[in-house]
Amino acid sequence: MFRTKNKKVSIALILIAIVYLILSFQLPSYAYVPVDSDLVPIGLGVILLLLSAMLFFTKDQEQKENEEHIPKKDLPIVLGVICFTILYIALLEIIGFIMTTMLFLFLCSLFLGYRKHVVNAAVSIVIPILIYLLFNDFLQVSLPTGILPF
Amino acid sequence: MDVFHGLIQGFEIALSFQGLMFVFIGVVVGTVIGMIPGLGPITAIAVMIPITYGMDPAIALLLMAGVYYGAAYGGAAASILLNAPGTSEAVATTFDGYPLAKQGHAGKALALSAIGSFVGGTISIILLTFLAPTLAKVAVSFGPPEYFALMLLGLTAIASLSEGSTIKALISGTIGLMIATVGIDAQTGTARFTFGNAHLLEGIDFLVIALGLFALAEVASLIKNRKEKATNMHSVGSLKLTKAEAKEVAPTMGRQSLLGFLVGVLPGAGGTIASFMAYISEKKLSKNPEKFGKGAIRGVAAPESANNAASGGAFVPLLSLGIPGSGTTAVMLGALIVLGIQPGPLLMNDHPDVFWGVIASMYIGNILLLILNLPLIPYISRILLVPRQLLISLIIVFCIIGVYAVSFSTFDLYLLLGFGVLGYVMRVIKFPAAPMLLAFILGGMMEQAFRQSLTISNGSLSIFVTSPIAAGMLLVAFLAFLVPIIKSRKSKKNDPAENNKSA
Repeated sequence: MFRTKNKKVSIALILIAIVYLILSFQLPSYAYVPVDSDLVPIGLGVILLLLSAMLFFTKDQEQKENEEHIPKKDLPIVLGVICFTILYIALLEIIGFIMTTMLFLFLCSLFLGYRKHVVNAAVSIVIPILIYLLFNDFLQVSLPTGILPF
Repeated sequence: MDVFHGLIQGFEIALSFQGLMFVFIGVVVGTVIGMIPGLGPITAIAVMIPITYGMDPAIALLLMAGVYYGAAYGGAAASILLNAPGTSEAVATTFDGYPLAKQGHAGKALALSAIGSFVGGTISIILLTFLAPTLAKVAVSFGPPEYFALMLLGLTAIASLSEGSTIKALISGTIGLMIATVGIDAQTGTARFTFGNAHLLEGIDFLVIALGLFALAEVASLIKNRKEKATNMHSVGSLKLTKAEAKEVAPTMGRQSLLGFLVGVLPGAGGTIASFMAYISEKKLSKNPEKFGKGAIRGVAAPESANNAASGGAFVPLLSLGIPGSGTTAVMLGALIVLGIQPGPLLMNDHPDVFWGVIASMYIGNILLLILNLPLIPYISRILLVPRQLLISLIIVFCIIGVYAVSFSTFDLYLLLGFGVLGYVMRVIKFPAAPMLLAFILGGMMEQAFRQSLTISNGSLSIFVTSPIAAGMLLVAFLAFLVPIIKSRKSKKNDPAENNKSA
């Protein structure tokens, strides 16, 4: 019964709506207002439940259209870029903006198959420094310095 | 303060050296971002928000106006030169713009697009100048029930007018409203859905959602097409139009600007619908419709004028009611709030300088776009030659800086990545992202208006029916729910015909 895409998505959404509703009912009540903070969330949960149920009974119309599925061979690359991004975020405040961004730009472009190493290196070095100067000196927004002294 | 006095004051700021310089920067940056496949005005404005931090609001507004117009024009340039519309607003421009480029007249198409945008922008700003204050006067009498009804109407309108399934768009909007409930409740102080995480107490920053759902999600599609090279880009050629051509497109630009403005004022219907309507109606009006699709100059002028006029029209509800009607104006609202400007009916009375400053900046942005972009476009279009692999890494870095410079927390960066993944999954299963963004931005205001209304009426829902304005708007809003039912009935009857239309 879960063969069509709409049905699968609708089941997932119904589960989300149920979890959201359970959390909404658990919200502590506050005695001194006529409308408490759980009213709107409960209403939204019910609306999502209804809409998801409607989706369940809607026929998939777009099956023939060009599907934007990632081909199987591209999936590892998307996941790889996500991993690079997670590493970038994790190291940003530890190593500092300039160094992390340089490494990220160079390695991520390399990973995606960019083979002009000189151009890549030049871009990876110049852009982070320019951005850092723009934010730090011109806009007075300090980006994490990390292990570098500036 | 009357209209003219206010405008003159606005122009004084805009025409100062500093003002002109920032419009220029905005136009160039906006055009560059708008040209990048998949990135449009939403991303361009969102990325620029941290830059405007600490700037004089009047100057920052000029920058934003430049970015706004530049991004729309950049999208059109990519459509013409590469047949690669960056956003849905620019799709109609490819129909005749790309054939013109193939015939070696890319410059002509770019000039038409710039002039069309200018005419559309000018007409819509003039109409906006007179319509927004009138609407604001009416809106002063609006109470919470009317505001709630109006926002609900805007949301259901964007859902039923967006392409694809209306149910999916409504679900997307509902989830946007749910995301808006995260954080401390303003009325009771209850922490909702924060899971004990201190970072979530203040709710989720809208930049995280805008950049995640739109810019980062696009990265995944870019990865798929990363080996595509812009080898088939056509040289720009001469930008000149002949006198006969100018005569031919002038009436087109005039009428399509009016149409675009009217479509833009309506909640939910933005540049995409305006540009398609303009293209189709211009083809019907033409004496030789067979030329359309093969490089008709009116086929470029019509959607471009209408699209830009619609973006001006969308500012009417934003400035006079404080309610955005589309994803793009929703981000613009976010940018204005960051600058300390709260659009709404009181803006014109309390801060007329700001109100007219916004309008004057839009006007100057529009003029500078025409003056600067025409000679610069051959150079700016080289951005299309940047290898995709480098572009992908750079987009990720810009998104991360954009969020970090506002929140200074790595938690928000992980959240950004999460919304990027969500945005991509939504694309795969064909859920539109714009309703979610708009709902998220309206969510807080809607909940406040809803609860204020119920507080006034002591918990009785009848307050939404006793006000005729609110009742009328709610009725129209609920009619939007009927659209999917009608749509599915229709498609059952004539399935093949529907498929042809969408192809």
